[in-house]
Amino acid sequence: MITTTATQSTPTARAARATSSLAASVKFKAFVVVFGISVPIIYVLCEWFNLPLFTFHPATNRVEFWWGPARSGEGPTMYWYGWTVMTVLVGTVLGLLGTLLPESMVRRIPLALVWLLPVLAFIPLAYSLMPFWTK
Amino acid sequence: MLISVNTFWTILLIVHGLLAIALLGALTHQAVAVLMPVRQAAGGFVTRFRAVPAAGYATAVCVLWILTFLMGAWIYTKYRIYVRIPIEQAGYWKTQGFFELKEHAATLGLGLLPIYWYFWKNAQNPEYDGARKSVTVLLAFICWFNFLVGHVLNNVRGFGS
Repeated sequence: MITTTATQSTPTARAARATSSLAASVKFKAFVVVFGISVPIIYVLCEWFNLPLFTFHPATNRVEFWWGPARSGEGPTMYWYGWTVMTVLVGTVLGLLGTLLPESMVRRIPLALVWLLPVLAFIPLAYSLMPFWTK
Repeated sequence: MLISVNTFWTILLIVHGLLAIALLGALTHQAVAVLMPVRQAAGGFVTRFRAVPAAGYATAVCVLWILTFLMGAWIYTKYRIYVRIPIEQAGYWKTQGFFELKEHAATLGLGLLPIYWYFWKNAQNPEYDGARKSVTVLLAFICWFNFLVGHVLNNVRGFGS
């Protein structure tokens, strides 16, 4: 059996076949490229500046809009849910705005950014955990 | 109640783990297939492992990542109180640090899914070959990292503790 990543035909012929209508859409490409580039940037900003959309208090199952401090007798707070939802929402909005870009501009965005930025995001994220590494 | 609260959360943890194993298998097959594509059929185990129809895994990987993510996010509510606090009291700070990194990695992986799916649905387009390979290998790396961290944490304070 031959893997689909192997070159089986000419590049032009290969480029002509997307396996779903969504995957063939130029606007969808713009959305996923902008979303993919935005998510690591937004997530790092949310984590670095502590910008959760909401705060969850697991001991009391209480959800508080935006950032909330831990309260005496109510246990710890959780911000990761708020960072994640904020990241996905803002990334979706930016992705939708990206669909308004002309195709020629989307084609100029280096695709390497979609994997390079998440890799680079680990540097500030790991650094922010310094108290755990140095205790 | 038919089952105890502890049993309920243990079942969720096991489901989370099983979903992660399925995801790990699919992503590992796919990553090996893009790193070392097979040009012709052969009989060895390693070659057969590489020779999967990698594009067919894309949607399953996305669904499995989201399901594993949601199960993990659900369990995390209990982890924060019943696992993290004892881990900190025991002084396992680096272990907890790696868990924090795992949650970050899971979100970054979630953000990669749309472009990953797009690349694989356009697997015939050579323009995306390099980026598709990198995104797939990165997702596989994150999956392995998260799986191993989760496994170690389960050993520190998980099932039965």
